[in-house]
Amino acid sequence: MNSAPRLLSTWFDGQSPRSQVCELRIEGSELVLSLVSGERRYPMRQVRWAERRSHGQRQSELPDGSLIQHADAGEWDAWRQASGQREGAVVGWMQSWRATLVAMGASVVFLGAAWTWGVPWLSRTLAHQVPHSLEARLGEQGMQQLDRLFLQPSTLPAQQQHALRERFALAVQRAHPRGDAPPWQLSFHGSKALGANAFALPGGYIVITDELVKLLADQPDAIVGVLAHELGHVHHRHGLDLMVRASLISALVGVVLGDASGFLATVPATLATQAYSRDAERDADAFAAQLLDRSGVPPSVMVVFFERIRQQEKIDENEDADDRAALPIAISSHPDHEERIRFFREWQTDPARP
Amino acid sequence: MAQHSEFEATEVLPDSRLPSSEPAHPLDIRFTGSGSEYFRIWIVNLLLTLVTFTLYWPFARARRLAYFQNNTLVGHDPLGFHGDPWKMFRGYLLMLMFGVSYWAVSNFAPTLAWLPLLVLAVLWPALWRASLQFRLRNTSWRGVRLSFTGDLKGAYLCMLPFFIPVLLMGMVFGAVASATQGAEPGAAGAMFAAATGVLVLATTALAPWLLARIKRYQHGGYAFAQEHTRLHAGVGAFYGFSIRSMGVSLLCTALLAGVGAIVAAMAGGFSGAALVMLPFLLALAYLVFPLVLVPYTTSRLQNLLWSNTRSRRIRFDSQLRFGPLVRLTAKNWLFIALTLGLYWPFAKVHTARMRLEAMQVSVQGDVNAWLAKAQGGDKGILGDAAGDFFGIDMGL
Repeated sequence: MNSAPRLLSTWFDGQSPRSQVCELRIEGSELVLSLVSGERRYPMRQVRWAERRSHGQRQSELPDGSLIQHADAGEWDAWRQASGQREGAVVGWMQSWRATLVAMGASVVFLGAAWTWGVPWLSRTLAHQVPHSLEARLGEQGMQQLDRLFLQPSTLPAQQQHALRERFALAVQRAHPRGDAPPWQLSFHGSKALGANAFALPGGYIVITDELVKLLADQPDAIVGVLAHELGHVHHRHGLDLMVRASLISALVGVVLGDASGFLATVPATLATQAYSRDAERDADAFAAQLLDRSGVPPSVMVVFFERIRQQEKIDENEDADDRAALPIAISSHPDHEERIRFFREWQTDPARP
Repeated sequence: MAQHSEFEATEVLPDSRLPSSEPAHPLDIRFTGSGSEYFRIWIVNLLLTLVTFTLYWPFARARRLAYFQNNTLVGHDPLGFHGDPWKMFRGYLLMLMFGVSYWAVSNFAPTLAWLPLLVLAVLWPALWRASLQFRLRNTSWRGVRLSFTGDLKGAYLCMLPFFIPVLLMGMVFGAVASATQGAEPGAAGAMFAAATGVLVLATTALAPWLLARIKRYQHGGYAFAQEHTRLHAGVGAFYGFSIRSMGVSLLCTALLAGVGAIVAAMAGGFSGAALVMLPFLLALAYLVFPLVLVPYTTSRLQNLLWSNTRSRRIRFDSQLRFGPLVRLTAKNWLFIALTLGLYWPFAKVHTARMRLEAMQVSVQGDVNAWLAKAQGGDKGILGDAAGDFFGIDMGL
């Protein structure tokens, strides 16, 4: 066994900063440390070996708290190799530029996959795990906040409200005769801030503004369609879904940027929720079209809704154009509208359901 | 610095006990880390952290700390890092649990969001001390572990004044809200604004004193062998630092305002100019403040702290200069932007080198004769045990 490679090195006992000369060799499963004062033996498994790097000295920690320190890194690595010791896979990986580039590519692929599939899947799954009672409370709190900030009591006659509610209830009843529609609660509100609008909150709270009801006063079926679209959001639990998604994206960005920057981290979260919310609109449209179709209303009634909304946007833009300098702020010109109108116009009855 | 004079009287006492025969010799600090190597470490760590859903994070952190410490040479000996990643893993799980529960509470029951914040605030001083202990105990030089000797009571006492403004804020707002019930909204708004203004002023006036308290606790707790450090900088020095920093930020603001005025004058009364100018000025502010103010405060605070930290036989000195740090920061930012962030590890290494190599340690007498008392482990104080069990490390 005396043929084992030896290395002259420096040893610190952990009590005093005084260094001592030592000679190292590996005998079987033991590291043998020869000092002037005698020999010390340590089980190889209990030694915390220095990781190989191209810069810096080598420090290996022994189980009794003492330390071997070797200034010449190359000499140390050569001795380790000559003694037949192998290093961890990760250490070798970090020393190779090729492996690093592979790791970089893999990170990009992983992030892309997480963004496209992982996060949507996880947030959808998590959103559906949340109990209904909790979701309802979340919606209730949201309702209270909106009520305080943006909503005024409705000025529509109670009769009209009742008629619309009945009409929607009947449509839902017809489309879901087995009662598998999500529970919902419809309320009418005036809103100066939101204009002609409708939205759904977690827990089935659906709000439609007086302005939108007036816009579609002669098209009650289109109002049913709008409400069905909102019920689609409730059905897919989009509110919770988007909330979880935004958090997951922020967490992901936090991991990548680490301690680099806080304010950069909020940008991708906003972008992601925008991209995802377009998908959510599509899902809700599909739900609405199906509901209308099953309750005996042609989904193409929704075309009127989109056209009137677009008209109103044009009027708003013209009004704004006078007092606003022509800044290129309005970049997006709602290409979605065309696509959505086509979707409702070209809706085909589900062949599986005659 | 002029502020030292008020403390000279206390310094004479311990110093006079030193044997004058022992010569002081300086130990240079050098940093041998390389950007390209840290880049590889960073990328591989990133991939492993991603594919393990962040569970690898403490292991990555241990490797990163070991890299930075092993490449910091004091005299000719590197610092060692001995943190056990598995212990850090436990601490990470604890923090993760806390983060997730905070997220859940603030999203599902926003009215209760103050509860986890309160818990964190109450635990904060203990966590801070535990992480200082963990870092110091797991750092060694020439085989001897450093330690942090600040006690739990001290940690709470030095942070206590932080809670007072928060409490005051709550009380004042409560009082204003009840006093203005029924009054017209304009009056309530004015009272809120006045109360906020007073509180902000008071907090600004007290902030340097708070900083001094915290830093005195922190820099008064470092120990190596028989040496225990103290921070010999008075509150006045911290006020001086804060006033100068404020002056620099005012100067930056004046500069921005000047540029704005010149451009506005050149555009000449054109009404759209103000609209175009605003985003431009904001972008400039985003650049100027981190590029000037951050390097200024970083360099001045490091110099203030480390030039005044010493024990009986150890003296630190820091001469980090503002100009080179500004140039380095500007260069780092430029390259980070050009490489879409890939330059970040290089920037980190370069900054660490400049900050570390601006420091010097001088030691009186023969270090080899020093002896570490039996440290750590056997003390058995709950805080120690918890800090060590969970390997709590908050990246200070």
